[in-house]
Amino acid sequence: MFESETATPRQWVLELESEYRFEVEAGSSCAITLVKGRAEVFGAELVEGKPYVFGSECKAAIFTWLGCTIEMTLRKLHGSPVPEGEPEGSTEPPRVLILGPENSGKTTVCKILVNYAVRSGQGWAPMLVNVDPSEGGWAVPGALSAAAISGPIATCSTANPLGSAATSAPTTLASNALLPFAYWYGHDDTKKNSLLMDRLIRNLGMHIDDRLGNDPEGRTAGVIVDTPSSFASGPGATTEHRQKLIKACIDAFQINVILVVGHEKLNVEMQRAYGSRLTVVKIPKSGGVVELDRSYRERVHNYQVHNYFYGEVIAPPPGVKSATQGGETLTDLNLAPSSTAVNFSDLKIYRIGAETMAPSSALPIGAARVVSEMQPVAVDPSQPGSGLLNAILAILAPFHTDERERYDEEILDLNVIGFVVVTNLDIAHKKMTILSPTQGSLVGRTALIGSLEWQE
Amino acid sequence: MSLYQNYYAQPSYGSQTYTQPPPVANGYHHPLTPPQAAYSVDPATFRRDFSARLSQLTVNSRPIIQGLSMYAHDYVRFAEIVAQCLEAHIRAVPPWVKLPSFYLLDMISKNIFEPYARLFSTFVIPLFLETYQQVDEATRSKMVELVLTWRTGSPTGKELFGVPAQVQIERSIWGETSSSSASSHPSSGFIAKAQVLSELEFTLGQKERAVQANPSDATSQNHVHVLQQLRRLIEAGVSQDELKQILSQLRTLMRSNPPSTASQPPQVSNTPVPSQWPSQPYTAPQSYPQTPSYPYAAYPSSKTENTVSSSSASVPPPSVATVPAGGFADLLSSLVKSGVLSNTGTPLGAGATAKEDTLHSINEEQEASRTYRSFVLRHPIQLSTAGITRGRPPIAETLYDHLTSQCKQCGIRFSDSVTGKKVMEEHLDMHFKQNMKANLNVGRGHSRSWYTGIDDWVHDTVDRKGKGRADGSRPLSGKAAAAADAAKRDAELRAQFVVVPPGDEAKPISCPICKETLKSEFLEDDEEWVWRNAVKKDERIYHATCRAEALTNTLASRLLNTGRSRSVTPETQVLPSKKASPSPESLVGVKRKAEDIDSTLSQLEGTPPSKKLAIAS
Ligand SMILES: [Zn+2]
Ligand SMILES: [Zn+2]
Repeated sequence: MFESETATPRQWVLELESEYRFEVEAGSSCAITLVKGRAEVFGAELVEGKPYVFGSECKAAIFTWLGCTIEMTLRKLHGSPVPEGEPEGSTEPPRVLILGPENSGKTTVCKILVNYAVRSGQGWAPMLVNVDPSEGGWAVPGALSAAAISGPIATCSTANPLGSAATSAPTTLASNALLPFAYWYGHDDTKKNSLLMDRLIRNLGMHIDDRLGNDPEGRTAGVIVDTPSSFASGPGATTEHRQKLIKACIDAFQINVILVVGHEKLNVEMQRAYGSRLTVVKIPKSGGVVELDRSYRERVHNYQVHNYFYGEVIAPPPGVKSATQGGETLTDLNLAPSSTAVNFSDLKIYRIGAETMAPSSALPIGAARVVSEMQPVAVDPSQPGSGLLNAILAILAPFHTDERERYDEEILDLNVIGFVVVTNLDIAHKKMTILSPTQGSLVGRTALIGSLEWQE
Repeated sequence: MSLYQNYYAQPSYGSQTYTQPPPVANGYHHPLTPPQAAYSVDPATFRRDFSARLSQLTVNSRPIIQGLSMYAHDYVRFAEIVAQCLEAHIRAVPPWVKLPSFYLLDMISKNIFEPYARLFSTFVIPLFLETYQQVDEATRSKMVELVLTWRTGSPTGKELFGVPAQVQIERSIWGETSSSSASSHPSSGFIAKAQVLSELEFTLGQKERAVQANPSDATSQNHVHVLQQLRRLIEAGVSQDELKQILSQLRTLMRSNPPSTASQPPQVSNTPVPSQWPSQPYTAPQSYPQTPSYPYAAYPSSKTENTVSSSSASVPPPSVATVPAGGFADLLSSLVKSGVLSNTGTPLGAGATAKEDTLHSINEEQEASRTYRSFVLRHPIQLSTAGITRGRPPIAETLYDHLTSQCKQCGIRFSDSVTGKKVMEEHLDMHFKQNMKANLNVGRGHSRSWYTGIDDWVHDTVDRKGKGRADGSRPLSGKAAAAADAAKRDAELRAQFVVVPPGDEAKPISCPICKETLKSEFLEDDEEWVWRNAVKKDERIYHATCRAEALTNTLASRLLNTGRSRSVTPETQVLPSKKASPSPESLVGVKRKAEDIDSTLSQLEGTPPSKKLAIAS
């Protein structure tokens, strides 16, 4: 659907309040320069005269309030104004839950709201929460996470749709040095273990509340929660499941506004359930949203995990000089993960719930064949079928230091400090090779496995 | 702003101000594109070019010095050639043109630091002392001023060329028995009056320029007044004890106000920030400077000193920690009380002024946010499906007209208010530093940091406007108190040291756990070299922190199922206020790594991590 890489730059004039949508094909990149006027990508403003590069099958749009001229190498899909507006709570800071079906543009709505809040110049840093495990936020798919956003989030790649967690690379944008707080759910499907989802959502909410209690200014900036599409619709049998999880979000994040993106049935449902105590607003689905297929999503997951370990530098199209990656100078943004061999005994690995466990040897001695959804089951790497090879593992924060505070299910409430991937299993020598974001021993750590894998 | 502005921006005598752009000799221009992208130069060509440009440095010209410094920055890969050329140049030129070359050496060392300061340190001592012998009194006093700035000239506020070099130069200037700089507590040796006077003049000069830059700076005014009285007092003659006390206080004052070289605005930047490059009024010495006058005179000084003093009040550099705050004021008031000084200028605590400043800026901010709120509320929009689709709020006005200045690098906007300008200045500064860091670190290898732990995350509530969090005002929670305890333990570990066996000073020793080289340090008081943060165990030397952590972890894994609490865990080893620490819950070894990154960062930036975070927005 594109001209070849060598397409010559073309200029386009955008009318006021119109936008220009584009997609980048796999393996290619494009550059867009704001020639004149003012423009933004999902709420992050562009600088005039700088080529912005986009890659990793990014789908984005250049929007202008006042009109602008842009130069690009991309084919225009279609342009139409998208209504936007930031909800303005009367006295309470907005705490917004965004619901919508697949491909309705929920994440984009979140991003625009957050970006406009930080662009107010009021020093606000809204809390952006991602409870969509298929998205992964600043972690990898399978995680639920939250981060305070103090600078606009740029869009230039599918690999880091919400900005980037902090690295040692010399980044300049606040949204590329985020300090997220994350839990590991371990699956991309919320129905796989909805009890665990419920618990993690509530944990996340509790810690956000703790933090905002310390920080009146942070509280003022509000909370924006992005949700999985499974919250919005699904087969009748799943209604109870999704209603429970929506309720968990509303309680945990003390939601006062629900934004339903383009889904009348859900809007009615939410009005009925919550209309009396909080504001439910339906906003139209963005006309430009493209249907995404399963294989596209898989590729995006792949980009995201790769980006977590290796970072991303988008190669500009030929002939484009001194380009910027969403405002970041294209310097040494590549990351160097470390690959180390560790003994099986160095790392304690657990799986939450038994649904996916295969060998009965993995069960605690004397346990019944069926293990509860919330039970941590130790994974023995020396057993064939442990599922460890290529698995993404979440490295957990240490257990409580004070023994009196320890409890049986504590492992369920431990946050994640990072992710590793098992790249090789040497059962004979009881060793495994682990790809880790940064150097350092993992000895004595506890890790959780889920159902997500990654291979370079 | 820069040291050069603070330090050298004094009225020049016998010079004249031109307003046209500097007549730079061979028209060197600042490249606006990163050098590595430009063209490749072989070492021989570079040597020839650099020497040729260096030979132009026969007058005290800021643009030439700056241009050369920029050149050295861009071609840091040829640092050794730069060092060789510079040394040869200083040796070759006649005494009266050596000073400008020392200014170049100084600028390169302070602004770029690694690897230049290290390379220069191999020849700076003999070169400096030789030159010092050859020049006239006026030049000597300039050189002494320079040496005094080297005490805190490194990006971390430490000795620019290391403690031994600093000690040796100062001793050569003030005599063998003099009290050398390295600590803010002069040692017990004899203190020369001349030395105290030199240091006093230096501090006085700083304060006078602060007052010049900001006439309403009452603290500095007061300091000037008191310092002048002190000078008369010393000249009239005081006891050794008093000299010692005065020297100690002077150093506290100097260190609490370190020239923040690393926070240079884009003067030597290759950051394309055109607005930062106005044509500078330029002062050229009338004639060939037989007596080099004040260099770089009339470089427009701004409210820099202001910034420096207010930030030093709120974010004191670590070196001050050992000296009670207000020590200088205390000394002065005790002098006043004892009748040594007249009390026409009652010393104001620096804290009081800082508080007023803060209050002032808070008021301004409150006013601005009130204005914003009323503007927004003037356009009521119903929060309903119909309301938000029908309403036409003046969004463009809100986005652009309220925030008129845009950062040309990343697109973020700032208001035109005083605060807004300050924040934007800091923001541009941050870009500059990061670009610098990027250029210096090419190929060094970066990595994703571990995420923060619960305690750190919950307390990571930096004020986005750069005021920093009100530390101490918030009651410590149980967890935070535990973290503070752990931080104390951590500090204790870091304070441990192992004396380097004589002869082993140059031998690199690495920690068996993290494999990193142990850093040696010269203990001024004991006059010996030590490895800091080190413990010796079974004839091997470990980082004290690494070993403690390793012990904890093995213990932890053993105790995991037996049910005893662990004494120290990585989770609680970092104060919640240490916001930039990338990984409070980091793993064994990683912690050190992370802190190295941290310290590299602050070396490059000269700002504590918290400030960096605050301005990163
Ligand atoms: Zn910027
Ligand atoms: Zn070590």
